[in-house]
Amino acid sequence: MIEKPFFDSDIAWCPGCGNFSILRTLDKTVEEAGIDRKQLVLVSGIGQAAKLPHYTQANVFNGLHGRAVPAAVGIKLANHELEVVITSGDGDMYGEGGNHLLHNIRRNVGVKAFVHNNMVYGLTKGQASPTSEIGFKTKLQVHGVMSLPFNPLAIAIAEQCSFVARSFAGDPKHLQEMMVAALQHKGGFALLDILQPCPTYNRVNSFKWYRDRVRKIGEEHDPYDRQQALDLAFRWGDEIPLGLIYKHDRPTFESQLEVFKKGALVAQYRQ
Amino acid sequence: MDLNIRIAGAAGQGVETTGDLLVETFAGQAVHCFSTQTYMSRIRGGLNWYDIRIADRELFSGRGKADLLVALNEDTLNWLRADVNDGGLVLFNGADNDGVVAIEFESVAKEVGGSAIMANTVAAGAVVALLGHDFTGLESGLRERFGRKGDEVVDANIACARKGAELVADHVGKLTGPESSDAPTAICSGNEAIGLAAATAGVKFVTSYPMTPSTGVITFLANVADRYGIVVEQAEDEIAAVNMICGATYAGVPAMTTTSGGGFALMVEGLALAGMLELPIYIFLGQRPGPATGLPTRTAQQDLLFAVHAGHGEFPRAVFAPGTPQQCYDLTRHALEIAHEYQTPVILMSDQFLADVRKNCRGLDTSYRPIDRHIVQEPPEDYLRYTVTESGVSPRAIPGSKALVVVDSDEHAEDGHITDHLEVRVRLQDKRMRKLQGLLSDVLPPDWYGPTEAEHVLIAWGSTYGPCREAVDLINASGGSAAMLHFSQVWPLNVDGIRRMLGGRKRITAVECNQTGQFASLLRMVGAVSECELLTRYDGMPFAAEEIARRIAP
Ligand SMILES: Cc1ncc(C[n+]2csc(CCOP(=O)(O)OP(=O)(O)O)c2C)c(N)n1
Ligand code: SF4
Ligand SMILES: [Mg+2]
Repeated sequence: MIEKPFFDSDIAWCPGCGNFSILRTLDKTVEEAGIDRKQLVLVSGIGQAAKLPHYTQANVFNGLHGRAVPAAVGIKLANHELEVVITSGDGDMYGEGGNHLLHNIRRNVGVKAFVHNNMVYGLTKGQASPTSEIGFKTKLQVHGVMSLPFNPLAIAIAEQCSFVARSFAGDPKHLQEMMVAALQHKGGFALLDILQPCPTYNRVNSFKWYRDRVRKIGEEHDPYDRQQALDLAFRWGDEIPLGLIYKHDRPTFESQLEVFKKGALVAQYRQ
Repeated sequence: MDLNIRIAGAAGQGVETTGDLLVETFAGQAVHCFSTQTYMSRIRGGLNWYDIRIADRELFSGRGKADLLVALNEDTLNWLRADVNDGGLVLFNGADNDGVVAIEFESVAKEVGGSAIMANTVAAGAVVALLGHDFTGLESGLRERFGRKGDEVVDANIACARKGAELVADHVGKLTGPESSDAPTAICSGNEAIGLAAATAGVKFVTSYPMTPSTGVITFLANVADRYGIVVEQAEDEIAAVNMICGATYAGVPAMTTTSGGGFALMVEGLALAGMLELPIYIFLGQRPGPATGLPTRTAQQDLLFAVHAGHGEFPRAVFAPGTPQQCYDLTRHALEIAHEYQTPVILMSDQFLADVRKNCRGLDTSYRPIDRHIVQEPPEDYLRYTVTESGVSPRAIPGSKALVVVDSDEHAEDGHITDHLEVRVRLQDKRMRKLQGLLSDVLPPDWYGPTEAEHVLIAWGSTYGPCREAVDLINASGGSAAMLHFSQVWPLNVDGIRRMLGGRKRITAVECNQTGQFASLLRMVGAVSECELLTRYDGMPFAAEEIARRIAP
């Protein structure tokens, strides 16, 4: 007889993982903002980060790897009264699901995307992710990563994403500020990139590594200034800016549809 | 009385407008019509033709040869002339040419209407007059079509049509069209019927990536979206489309996507997601010949085994394959109902041939009659999305109600949360698969056409309904003994029922628009037949009834 494994309710994250702080902060944010959890849907793809919805109280759509964004958009369009929040990994959102990200920034549906960016694939045991740096060695990238890292912030700004921010799992206070700002944002698609140390598979970009580099953006920054925002988005290395980097005002997808004026699609359905 | 009119020209010459105008004119006069379109995948320049078959009895199929060919350019004349029946006529848009009625449609249009664009109206006028048909139908058709553009345009078109009639005056009587009968005056194409059924059944969210021959469905829905309150959105790719409708159905609205083989291939992971999450998604699969890009504008039935087996892992599904525009309408509604009753994905398969078929239809109901979504409005606090039940169907709540609704593409426990527990896995997998029993009990029985005691049974599925049905008539009229067994639901299959119908027959032949006889394979796989002959066609053209009758001869 094979012994039956049983770790249903255990959290499947390694001790010291940055995901714990993201989970605690999200929980705190939801609690303090008084968000009705029955109106909250957490959407994720597949990965370590994508397990977050299972560890809190909310409606959950844990879909396919890379497909959190289209699922979230489908949910939001069926019922735009719901608060729809994506919490997923960098591989999920920037790699497998990259095309959806590109086009949903354009579409500007009001879903909030919180990306746990650990610069590595955690769940599949440590391969490079789209944000891994050049030279990053893994069991698969044996000579180190050769491709340039994907810059989610610059891409989002180039596409005039309505809300672009970055925070750090090691600074829960700042993270909560950014989560609140994203949740309060009514202007459409919001991208919050969260620097998330993965002590197991990314020994380079550790809590300490980040603490030595992250700098909060000062008051003087105007998030509506695209050039300034791009400039911040391209900064990486000795100084990594944190904060609300870019905002752009334009109509949301929902606000442009006549049919939504009568209420949520699901509420219009009678039967 | 049975006449086939073929309007042929280069893409961009108005072949479709002329064809539509004529079908609408004839149907408007209660004449039985059946039209099909054949075209190249090019916007301008390729060879296109539009067949309008008219008769004094209901029609189900096109015909290979034409009685009247209207060739709008020289290429089409050269290409299609040989396919005109003896005693037939050819109207040619050009100067004299042996054995044809030459009318310079374009210069006539310029002269009478002021623009060569109306050449096809001249042609339509000529056709209607040639067959001795009432002209008022055509005139009101022109008024309807061009009314928006103002009286001047309408008048010019009517003048062009009259001139066309004048120019064929010498030939009137050479061909006779059918009289009016009890034919319904409304007409519908396969794709329109699907769109209309979806809109009236309460589909609220439609998203697709364009792909011939499925695009007509989402285009139709986009045009009625405001009336029925539907959100129609072009997706960034098919993967997005299927995942978006998974999200939308989770949140509680009936949702669908439309695609063809290549796009369906991209949706396959999402189909399995719907199976795992138990979401009632509807996928419309308009087939065309593959593999890969294949023949984009031609027809085929090559994706049957793919659709029935698509998706990793095992989950229940229902697959439908209507044979007529009326069935496209009825089965789209039915498929949506089944999807919601059993909380599992459904696929409805058509193809380019059926997508474009236009035929008289008894007024399809345009009134809004939303289907039952089988949603629990007031779930208990301790609600579990995947409660194990005997039928396998768990009470379905949606987010935003009194309970939290948790769904996961990982194997999950009854509460929807991820699990690694092997016993739970088996319990939940069994629960999902038990829904197959319900699906089976609701399977649509295949249609039998022809004498019950027929010796030879033609097995058809989907769009081969019409050609096979007419082939049965031809075979029996010439002393044979044939019947058709047509499947409009191709999965799951009621094995005992099929065995009973096929038992003791002398011959069984599966007639399919593919190379390998995919439905026959499926029947063998489930043990419904042990052996059967195949009659296949896979050049991209649909079967014609005469062809089946001829090729099937002993
Ligand atoms: C279609 C598909 N391809 C591959 C996988 C395997 N897979 C699961 S998660 C993952 C990468 C996860 O990386 P990331 O999104 O960064 O999440 P992390 O585990 O680092 O939090 C991969 C490749 C899968 N589940 N589905
Ligand atoms: S592998 Fe990395 S990201 Fe995943 S749980 Fe462990 S530390 Fe966290
Ligand atoms: Mg990662």
